[in-house]
Amino acid sequence: MPLIVDVDLCTSCGECVERCPMDIIRLNNDGHPYKKYDECWYCGVCEEDCPEKALVLDIPFLVK
Amino acid sequence: MNLETDILVIGGGSAGCMAAIVAKEQNPDVSVVIIEKGEISRSGSIAMGMDALNIVVQPGITSPELYMKSALIATEGILDYNPSNIMAERSYSMLKRLESWGIRFPRDEENKYISLQVHAKGNFLLEMDSPDLKLVLAEKVKEAGVRIINRTIITKLLANGERANGAMGFNIRSGEFVVCKAKVTILANGGCARFSLPNSGYLYGTFDYPGNAGDGYSLAYQAGAQLTGFEYTQCSPLIKDLNCPLLYITLTRGAEVVNALGETIDLEYVSTQNMLKELREGRGPIFIKMNHLPEERIREIERILFTTERPIQKKFWENRGVDFREGLIELGETEYQLCGGHGMTGIVVNEKAETTLKGLYAAGDVACVPFQHLTGAFVFGEVAAEEAVKFVNNKELSEVDQSMINDEEQRLHNIMDNNKNGSISVKDFEYKVRRTISDYAIPPKNDQKLKRFLWWLPRFREEMKSIRITDYHELSKFEEIQFILDCAELSVHASLARKESRWGWFHYRTDYPEKDDRNWLKHIVLKKGIKSGEVQTLLVPIKKGGKN
Repeated sequence: MPLIVDVDLCTSCGECVERCPMDIIRLNNDGHPYKKYDECWYCGVCEEDCPEKALVLDIPFLVK
Repeated sequence: MNLETDILVIGGGSAGCMAAIVAKEQNPDVSVVIIEKGEISRSGSIAMGMDALNIVVQPGITSPELYMKSALIATEGILDYNPSNIMAERSYSMLKRLESWGIRFPRDEENKYISLQVHAKGNFLLEMDSPDLKLVLAEKVKEAGVRIINRTIITKLLANGERANGAMGFNIRSGEFVVCKAKVTILANGGCARFSLPNSGYLYGTFDYPGNAGDGYSLAYQAGAQLTGFEYTQCSPLIKDLNCPLLYITLTRGAEVVNALGETIDLEYVSTQNMLKELREGRGPIFIKMNHLPEERIREIERILFTTERPIQKKFWENRGVDFREGLIELGETEYQLCGGHGMTGIVVNEKAETTLKGLYAAGDVACVPFQHLTGAFVFGEVAAEEAVKFVNNKELSEVDQSMINDEEQRLHNIMDNNKNGSISVKDFEYKVRRTISDYAIPPKNDQKLKRFLWWLPRFREEMKSIRITDYHELSKFEEIQFILDCAELSVHASLARKESRWGWFHYRTDYPEKDDRNWLKHIVLKKGIKSGEVQTLLVPIKKGGKN
C-alpha cells in the first residue's frame, strides 16, 4: 500500500506528515514520505496538500 | 503538559471547531483550548469537505414542525422533541453564518438554493460546494485565538461522578502526558466508526472517519454520564469495497438503483433499508445505474464526487475500469457503526447540549440528536458554546483530585512498560474484536447471540495485556481498542434490553420480531453503575413537545 513519491519534486517539507489525519506518514532516511502504519483511510489529504504535488496515494490492496 | 482553561473542547472536527469559534465570539476573554487527535486543518469526518448540509429549514418553504414530523418517522417515535426542534429552528441562521464565511451553497436559475428531498416530508437537504470547509473552520479557530493542542488523544475525563473538570491524555507521537483542567468540558469527538468489520477485511476501510473509535462514548460512560440509542446498530449501502458515499449526489440527479434481476428498486426518499433488503433477500448484487443520464449531468456528478468528501473515488473507478456513462456501480453493505449524526447513538443531551454530568456538554456525532448530520454538529457546537460561556461566568476551577491524575499517568506508563514484549499486534487484536462484534453484536440479533459477545468481553479485556506496544502511536491504538470494547458492551446491553424489533433491520431481533409500540416507545438509557461498575440499563420516557 505504497505512497508513490516523485523524488525529484519532493522537498522533504513534511507537510504530508503534519496533515495526515491518521498520523501514519513519516519521512524515511532519504527524507521522503512513506506510510509507517497500515491505517490509511485514503482520504487524499497528503496528495491534496502537498505543495509540490509530489505524491500519489494508492488505495490499499484489500479495497482497490 | 499542564493546562488550565475556562473551556476545553475535546475534538476539533465540525462540532468542536464551531464550539470554539462561537465561545470566543460570545466572550473573547474566555480561554478556550481544543485538544485534537489529528491536526486541526484536516481532521474529523469533513477533512476533505462535505457536499451537503442535510437539514436546513428555509423560512417560507419548510418549517421546523415539518422537520419534526420527518424526524418522528425516521426515529419511529424514539425522539425527544426539544433538541431536534432547536436544531431545525437554528438551521437557517447556521446556513447564513457559513455563507458569511465563504462556504458556497449553489442556487438555481430562480436564485433559490438547490435543495433535495431525502426526508419523509420536505426538502431539507441543501447542496453545499465546499471541498475546503475544514480549512476554513480551522482558520477561523486560529483567528479567534483558541489554543490548539494537536495529535493528542484523551484517555480519561477528570470527573468525580457528578461534575466534569477537564481531561487527561497523551501526545500520540512524543507520549507527553497532557492534563487540562477546565471549568467546562465539551465533548465533540465523534461516534464509533470502527465497530463491526468492513466486508473488505481492511480495518480502516470504514464509511465514517476511522479516527473516531467511540472515544467520546467511552469517556462519557466511564465518567458517569448517561448514553442512549446504542441498540441502533446502523449500516449503509455504499460503493462496494470502498465504502464511500455517493447516493445523494447520484440519486437526486436521476440515477436509479437496480437489482440483479434488472428491476428498479423503489427508494422512497432514498431509504437505504430498501436497498439493504434486496441484498439480504438474495436479489443482489445491486447497482447504481446512470447510463441514461445526459453527459452534462454525469460531468456534474463526477465533479462533485471527485473533488469533495471522498475524492479517492476517481482513482477507484479508473482502476476498476468503470465509466459512469456505461458501467454500473456496485453497492455493498458497509460495516455497522454507532453514530449520533447518521444514526441515533450518543450521549444524552438536552436542548442546551448539557449532558447528565455537570460541566460536561456534548455536540456532534458523539451526542444523541438523531440524524442530526452536519447541521446538528454545527448548531449544537454553537449551542454548547453559548451555554458553556454562561456556565463559566464567575466560576473558579474546581479542585481536582491529584491522585486521579497520577493514577492515569501511571496506568499509561505501565502499559508501555508491560506490553513492550507482547505477542499480539494491535492490528490483530482489533481485527478479532471487530470480527467478534460482526459475529454477535449486529443484526439479526437474539438473546443467545448477544450474550455470546458478553462471554468474549472479559476475555478480550484480560488478553489486552498480551498486546505488543512499541511506541505511542500503538499505545493510542490500544486505548482505542478499549473504546471499541466499551461501545460494544454498551450496544449489546441496549440490544438485549429492547425486547422488540425496531428500525427495520437495524434492531431486528429474531426472538422478538415484532415492533411493540405499547411497551417500547421509550429510550434505553445506559450508565455505569457506581458500586458495581457494570452497565445499568434504564427505561426512560420520551420527552414530547410541540403538538405531539
